[in-house]
Amino acid sequence: MDPAHPEHIFFSPARIRAIAGNTLLELVRLKVFYFLLIFGFLLIGLGAVTPEFNFQEQFQLLKDVSLGAMSIFTWLLAVLATAMLLPKDIEDRTLYTILAKPIPRFEYLLGKLLGVLLLILISTLVMSAVFAIALYGRQQLAISETIRTSAGASADQIQDAIRDIRASTFTYSLIAAVVIIYVKAALFAALTLFISTFASSWIFTIIVTFACYFIGSLQGIAREVWLGSVSTGPLPRIFLAIIALIFPDLQLFNLVDDIVAGNSISMLLFGKTVALGGLYTCIYFLVAYFVFTGKEL
Amino acid sequence: MYSLEKSFRSHPWFRFSAVAALVLIFGAIRLPIESRLNAEYRAAFFHGAQLNLSLRQQIGQTGFLAALGGFRAAVADYLWIQAHIDWTRTEWGKMLLIFNNVTALQPRNLMFWDMSAWHMAYNASAFAMQDTRVPRMALRLKHQHEDFLIGKDLLERGIANNPDRYKLRESLATLLRDKLQDHCAAAVQFAKAAEFPDAPTYEIRFAAYELSWCPGHEREAYNELLRLYNMGEKERLPTLLSRLKSLQESLNIPQSQRINIPENQLPPHH
Amino acid sequence: MTAISIQNLTKVYPIPFRRERIIAVRNLSLDVEPGQVYGLLGPNGSGKSTTMKIVLGLVSPSAGTTRIFGRDSHEVESREEVGFLPENPYFYKFLTGQETLDFYGKICGIRGAKLRERTAELLALVGLEQARDRRLAGYSKGMLQRIGLAQALIQQPRLLVLDEPTAGVDPAGSREIRDLILDFKKRGITVLLCSHLLSQVQEICDRIGILHKGVLVREGRLEDLISIENQTEIILENATPELLAQVNALLTNSGARILAERKPQTTLEDFFLEVTSSKN
Repeated sequence: MDPAHPEHIFFSPARIRAIAGNTLLELVRLKVFYFLLIFGFLLIGLGAVTPEFNFQEQFQLLKDVSLGAMSIFTWLLAVLATAMLLPKDIEDRTLYTILAKPIPRFEYLLGKLLGVLLLILISTLVMSAVFAIALYGRQQLAISETIRTSAGASADQIQDAIRDIRASTFTYSLIAAVVIIYVKAALFAALTLFISTFASSWIFTIIVTFACYFIGSLQGIAREVWLGSVSTGPLPRIFLAIIALIFPDLQLFNLVDDIVAGNSISMLLFGKTVALGGLYTCIYFLVAYFVFTGKEL
Repeated sequence: MYSLEKSFRSHPWFRFSAVAALVLIFGAIRLPIESRLNAEYRAAFFHGAQLNLSLRQQIGQTGFLAALGGFRAAVADYLWIQAHIDWTRTEWGKMLLIFNNVTALQPRNLMFWDMSAWHMAYNASAFAMQDTRVPRMALRLKHQHEDFLIGKDLLERGIANNPDRYKLRESLATLLRDKLQDHCAAAVQFAKAAEFPDAPTYEIRFAAYELSWCPGHEREAYNELLRLYNMGEKERLPTLLSRLKSLQESLNIPQSQRINIPENQLPPHH
Repeated sequence: MTAISIQNLTKVYPIPFRRERIIAVRNLSLDVEPGQVYGLLGPNGSGKSTTMKIVLGLVSPSAGTTRIFGRDSHEVESREEVGFLPENPYFYKFLTGQETLDFYGKICGIRGAKLRERTAELLALVGLEQARDRRLAGYSKGMLQRIGLAQALIQQPRLLVLDEPTAGVDPAGSREIRDLILDFKKRGITVLLCSHLLSQVQEICDRIGILHKGVLVREGRLEDLISIENQTEIILENATPELLAQVNALLTNSGARILAERKPQTTLEDFFLEVTSSKN
């Protein structure tokens, strides 16, 4: 073998890293991170709107709005960023020059997905940091207010009150909520990638992904409503079965509302949810690879 | 892998079948896993929201879809802000509708149940008593009592949705004591609240106090108060001492068994 | 071992919802020897691009095989030895020149100091050192062709596939690229060239193949193909007019030295048009 030409490496993390890094760079240079500013302003604006509520209500609003905004932003980012990836490369034909190099289609696709996942991770971390700072600020306000208004109470009672406030702001479940938000976004990135492998345009991809979101959210409810009340003949059952087999059950990832309401989630349950989300992501990626690998360029 | 890629490229039907098979097999594998996971969630009190058709009628299609789409909390919060505005306008009827919707959306949120009950049993009821639009006092009392019962019902429903927490039982007990003067029921609720490991220490004391006001349970109450007294200085608070002294007298406890309680340790109003 | 070996290559594109099919390439066989500059010519729609894509493993054949240095084209390893310059600059416009070369280098498995060295060398070779930190969106067409050539060379390939390398480039740039290709040839790099600029092809190619409607209608050494069969050219030195007459009768009976005997050449352009029009 010519020493100038090393042996071809069958599976190369370095190649995947190159594609992932390039994808991240492309998305960053598209200035997608500016949406994070909107998130910041949203949280600040919220503070101005709710002064007449008590601290408990304010904490709840802050948590609900922050996590809800994080949920929607990460999901939108996942879908929009991924929907553009393949069509753009195919349309601009950059795919040709890349695949003309010794890189398997598998690594190319994986690199693209990892680039988007990295983008979502960075966004999630930044939003979490902003959220944590805002929550901490509120907590300190609540504590100082409590101390100020508890002039006659005993030290023990004040400590109890402060402990109560602290316990109701930061809980480990919030971390679990953020992780599940990320996992849901990752799932949708992989699903969008799969749809984009056979979609005719990126608009089609986005519409179909949105439809999947709705169907996935309704799937559990529809299942219950149908199986519970209506006397189901074979046809509705078959229809339901198909829906259940194809679409993800997104209610499983809607734990955030319950977590904020005060439900704490056990490590086991959390682990299972994350594992399921991870499995979905892998399967959707695999299906995307199957379709993409046979695609005529 | 290359032979697979080659087959995929030369035989589109093979590729389509492989994709369909993967999706369906994955679907078949995950369905039992997901339904088991759903069951575990319900056991851990997740997914308890009542997203049924009547709710959909009340909060409208957009709200319902948003709730289904993972934004239940935001919808509930939005409604809560509406309730707050209605409160400033003393529109109790509207508030009650919202309370029912909010608690249906977020049944695991204690604050919603607690504050909804508080608004009805304390604020709405007070307003009802002072409502000059209703000239007859008897009618005002009736409305006030209705508001008490609405508050009680909210708390009971809240407890049914949150059997693993003490807070709403404490609120219910307080309502029974303060508004409905049902000391026996209050005692039961305080006692149940006290059973929780994270309950504050005063719950068991309050249970004993209420029991002491419950006709036919004075002896039981006395034994309980004595037990608490014997636990040490921390428990020997003025109210406890006051009830103990009162029961000692009403139960004709022999002098030798009575605890000596000086006047300066009793609460001022005694 | 041949650089490129195409055996009985056929590519059929089915038209959805119709029974007809498009046969882009029909039973094509040709070989490109190492070190050759091979010109693949043909009108638009003749199957040139399809053939090129199949050789590069981007498209699968319906029948037949294509090999690069003995390796089947659909194997990823075969592309270790190939550099491809596409017709239009299909690169990421948001990257700078330097970043583009880094990116393609990493995909080819080159890293670290070796990559830095290689990109510097290539930027100097194609004359883009000044523009290394400018984004490709701000490059002219000629600059894009040059960065394209640089990325094609990044992994020191033994084979270059160039699709219209001088299309849209000014005469000076065109000349530079032509000189580069001749330099590659000297270094033993095989070149597969697709071009419409027949005069250029005539200048640099050793062998050509002409495709028309998916069929290889002519193939061979350039010199052989564009000779006119029934004429002979004789260049004589020190020949007298009398001798010319004598030469006509008896070639050997002369004092003139035959310096070269060559068949006169028509232009490639005329030949090409004649061949393709007769197939209508």
